Amino acid sequence: MPKKSTVLLIALIFGIGALFASCAGVQTKPTAANFKDPVIAIEMIDVPVYDGYWYYSGKIKPTKGKAGNHGAPLVLAITFNITNGNPYPILLEGYNFVLAFEEFDMTTVNGYEAQWIPAGKTNQVRVTTVFTTRSALLKLGVTSGYKLKAKGINMWQAMEKYWNTIPDMSFPINIYEGSFSFSANGVSNVIPFKGTYPE
Amino acid sequence: MNMKKFLIGLVAVAFLFGLTSVALAKVIKIGGLKDTTGATSDVGKDAALGQHEFWQYYVNDHGGINGKKVKYTWFDYGYRIPEAITKYKLLKRMGVVAIMGWGTGDTEALSPTINKDKIPYVSDSYSAHLTRPKDWVDKDGRKHIGTAYNLFFSSDYSTNARSCLTAWYGKKWPKHPDYGKRKPRLACCYMFGSPYASAPIAAIKNHAELLGIEVGPDQDVSLFAIDTKSQIMALIKFKPDIIWHGNTTMSVSATVRDAYALGLRADHIVNNWGYDENLPRLAGEAMNAPDALCVMGATPNGFFGQDCDLMDEVVKYAKKINPGVPQEKRICRTVQGWSNGLVLWEAMKRADKAGDLTGPGIMKKGFETMKNFHIGLCTGDVTYTADDHRPTGGCWVQEWKNGKFQKVEFVDVKGRWPKQWASEWFGW
Repeated sequence: MPKKSTVLLIALIFGIGALFASCAGVQTKPTAANFKDPVIAIEMIDVPVYDGYWYYSGKIKPTKGKAGNHGAPLVLAITFNITNGNPYPILLEGYNFVLAFEEFDMTTVNGYEAQWIPAGKTNQVRVTTVFTTRSALLKLGVTSGYKLKAKGINMWQAMEKYWNTIPDMSFPINIYEGSFSFSANGVSNVIPFKGTYPE
Repeated sequence: MNMKKFLIGLVAVAFLFGLTSVALAKVIKIGGLKDTTGATSDVGKDAALGQHEFWQYYVNDHGGINGKKVKYTWFDYGYRIPEAITKYKLLKRMGVVAIMGWGTGDTEALSPTINKDKIPYVSDSYSAHLTRPKDWVDKDGRKHIGTAYNLFFSSDYSTNARSCLTAWYGKKWPKHPDYGKRKPRLACCYMFGSPYASAPIAAIKNHAELLGIEVGPDQDVSLFAIDTKSQIMALIKFKPDIIWHGNTTMSVSATVRDAYALGLRADHIVNNWGYDENLPRLAGEAMNAPDALCVMGATPNGFFGQDCDLMDEVVKYAKKINPGVPQEKRICRTVQGWSNGLVLWEAMKRADKAGDLTGPGIMKKGFETMKNFHIGLCTGDVTYTADDHRPTGGCWVQEWKNGKFQKVEFVDVKGRWPKQWASEWFGW
């Protein structure tokens, strides 16, 4: 015959197991049918580090280091509010989007920092991106060259305006072609996103 | 049964289940280096989206690597070599088993490192310089380090150039009023300082000589040029019959537009990264007016949505994973991304099945066992051996005509010039 204490121990293990199982049963199980699309919005775009407007071509000898085509970095932090309207937690798995100044693409941003969003709650996701007057020159040239030409805008003029006035946020920053990937217990969904800041 | 033994057994079973769940959760990491902000981002962004859709979603939805999930992590390196090297080091620290690379300059720069690290590197650079796995010496006595871990699915740039020139010489030149009266004339437009654009220059000039075509002065066209009038004016003096373009779509469109506007009636042949659905949109009248120019290009894979094996999946995943990107903006670069992904996926499945999912295993038990492997997506079937990483010996040349791409000819370079292919045209 097993000892009384051993019997009690086994009973306790099964009891705890049953308790966990019953808790799991209370929560609504995610399914493709009951999954509500999370709501995504831009809370704020800020400039965490600002270094003005400048550009040096590779022909200029630097004070230190090697010469090269280098431009002022522009650091932008985009804070998104992501609201989970589901009665269960969901996992943000990743995202990608295009960031444009007015109608001119500056960069494509992607990230993989996963985070859980509790049921019925809003999480903030802060995405930081960096590009420079050098990278913008190339990006504008290969993707917006004709558009700029049609508007009679020189690439340098456009960049000078953007870099000098970004602290005021005086032009629209457009985020578009966005995809935010979510999952919950095997159910997954991708939510498209576009938005403008300031609105 | 003794209760103590029973409890030990219970714990052991629980422990075993725990371990099993950990083992099942093992994820195979694959890295990506892409250009979505730099000088080739006109074609790079769509390719990056396509490869992400393929690896993270299509592959995992279709069994991963023999049941093991894949985690695909890619970074934009802006077509800057120092940044590519930095991101490569990050991917290595993350423990990726293979990398989907991008440009020629960075891929060639990284080649000795990836050989040392033994990480298979499947690039969107199809430079012929990346196709010879063993060390070799060229006809001028220069030594070249073998590119043992470099791969791609496509015909290489040199084969593309030879294919396009052959197709033009055989199909278009005989219809020219001067045919039989003089040699045809070729000029090349490309960015001299770009490793990508200049990679097949020696090959196309060699091929021109082979076919009896006179070669004129090269024109330096920046990858982000939108005004190429000075280059066209220089070409007007030479009067080329055919112009080869080595750049990407944006600057190719500018050159074709300016040639049309300034009355230079030459035909055009374009390397694959300059020839996509956006070219006729950007070139406008130059490719669409009743007197439009003849513009042909190398097409190692199908256009987005074209009637090819597996294309329905490419389109389905593009819609599902990036619903915010309009379908009309998706182009053949997505298809190229999938094509490269499909060959690596197959190699990894083979290596894993052989119990050796390591860099050397993926090469020897994966890629180098692939003979006439059918990718689909209107690509050529691919073969890799331990001595030769040229995947295929020719490519389709297509022409934009009457508002759509139309096949001109499949040029089998390997079949037509077997002797040169075997030894002379290898690695450049």
